[in-house]
Amino acid sequence: MSKILIGRYVAGDSIVYRMDPRGKLLATILFILFVFLANNPISYLIVTIFSLAAVAATKLKPKIFWDGVKPLIWLILFTSFLQLFFTVGGTVYWRWTIFALSSYGFTNAIFIFIRFTVIILISTVMTVTTKPLEIADAIEWLLKPLKLIRIPVDKIALVMSIALRFVPTLFDETFKIMNAQRSRGADFNNGGLVTRAKAITPLLVPLFINSLETAIDLSTAMESRGYRGDKGRTKFRVLKWSNVDFINLFYFVLLLGLLLVFRTH
Amino acid sequence: MATDNIIKIKNVSFSYPESDAPAIDNISFNVKRGSWTSIIGHNGSGKSTIIRLINGLLVPDENGSPSIEVDGIKLTDDTVWEVRNRVGIVFQNPDNQFVGATVADDVAFGLENRGIPHSEMVKIVPEAIKAVGMSEYTNAEPANLSGGQKQRVAIAGILAIKPKIIVLDEATSMLDPEGRNQILSIVKDMKEKYDLTVISITHDIDEANMADQVLVMNDGKLITQGSTKTVFSQVSLLKNIGLDVPFFEQIKEKLQQDAIKLPDNLDSEKELINYLCQLNSKM
Repeated sequence: MSKILIGRYVAGDSIVYRMDPRGKLLATILFILFVFLANNPISYLIVTIFSLAAVAATKLKPKIFWDGVKPLIWLILFTSFLQLFFTVGGTVYWRWTIFALSSYGFTNAIFIFIRFTVIILISTVMTVTTKPLEIADAIEWLLKPLKLIRIPVDKIALVMSIALRFVPTLFDETFKIMNAQRSRGADFNNGGLVTRAKAITPLLVPLFINSLETAIDLSTAMESRGYRGDKGRTKFRVLKWSNVDFINLFYFVLLLGLLLVFRTH
Repeated sequence: MATDNIIKIKNVSFSYPESDAPAIDNISFNVKRGSWTSIIGHNGSGKSTIIRLINGLLVPDENGSPSIEVDGIKLTDDTVWEVRNRVGIVFQNPDNQFVGATVADDVAFGLENRGIPHSEMVKIVPEAIKAVGMSEYTNAEPANLSGGQKQRVAIAGILAIKPKIIVLDEATSMLDPEGRNQILSIVKDMKEKYDLTVISITHDIDEANMADQVLVMNDGKLITQGSTKTVFSQVSLLKNIGLDVPFFEQIKEKLQQDAIKLPDNLDSEKELINYLCQLNSKM
């Protein structure tokens, strides 16, 4: 059986793992907002130290975080270079047509680089230490106020959790169909983009039909197990706040305070 | 008078909207409380449709004043949820009935639907998981379980809601022999322990043979019913509609064709062997 992991969860054991997913999600969102308060070397230093501390708290290998940054490294570098060559101000060291190297350019490039990297680091801290299902639970909690405007948050949450549950099942199904087609001579790995795209069509049709059948079976099973919408439903999986979460959120408030004090006004 | 029959079905017909021929054609039968009933018949004979009618997933055709009664409750729009509290179904495909993200979540699904408070769920769920011997997999995800294990979880999910009737809708047909035997022995234990009524829809002749009562379906009609002995001795009838007969009945039939006289009261393979041994020594 293929064991495909959705998301980037890495099994581990540290204080970050024991935090409530709601706290982690909230903290991640707050952090992304707070980063934009930083506007001078000292505030960027605070943000960097803070995110490295969060990384250290996971007790995971640095390589896992490098893997988080790697796919985006070219985007980060490209953006930083744009800042480097197009910002004018301060001491100008070199100028050629529209390109310029200035002291402002240097600082801006470094700031942008740090901003990107710390945001990725912090969100990686959350995604590697929180199971997708827990993240779904946290999103549900975050969406709860929308119930007031009659958005069916409970149903959306059930849909999210069923979707997550069926991802590995659909992967298994896909491999089965692929093997069945391969055994009859289909070739998925050769040819140009168009040929490959065409080879996928005979894969998609049976997969699509299969998932419809699965959906029908599932709805029959759910109904016979007494599912009747949100009416009077209770929840088995309950999230619990603990002191660790309050301490964690306190750190983020502390970060906000430090940034407000040390940023240039 | 207390009803001895937990399921009473009278004059029930059902046609799927897109087809002309009825899937179920005027069927009546009873199921005794605490008994084991097998429904056999080839694909499309209406076996599964019957079950979906019993728990109100499908509604019978109006004609002929049909009536379905489960545990003394007449099935109507208002009582359908009460009936579903009493009937638990294990379906054929282990994957397509696994709703929860983990074993514990799935077992809790039926309880959540019924609004059972969290404090009770945390007691019931581990008990039900333990009853099917899956305790060490409590937090396992379905992708890491075998088909047989998933079916055991499905049974646990049903036990959690404490039904009166458990239905196996070809529940063992996608499992290997080991998984199948495990499921059947669990169901057998649970039947004794909780005084359940079992209905098993099956192609497997050995599974059908575990029953007290066998119903044979063909083209939406109930063509014969009775004890395993009376049903399976009608070898030619069963063969005519393309069904298997237990090995022992096949031997009996072949022997009789060869003009070997057998007494009527041979009910098991063992008795047949004993008889044949004695027959040999007499000659």
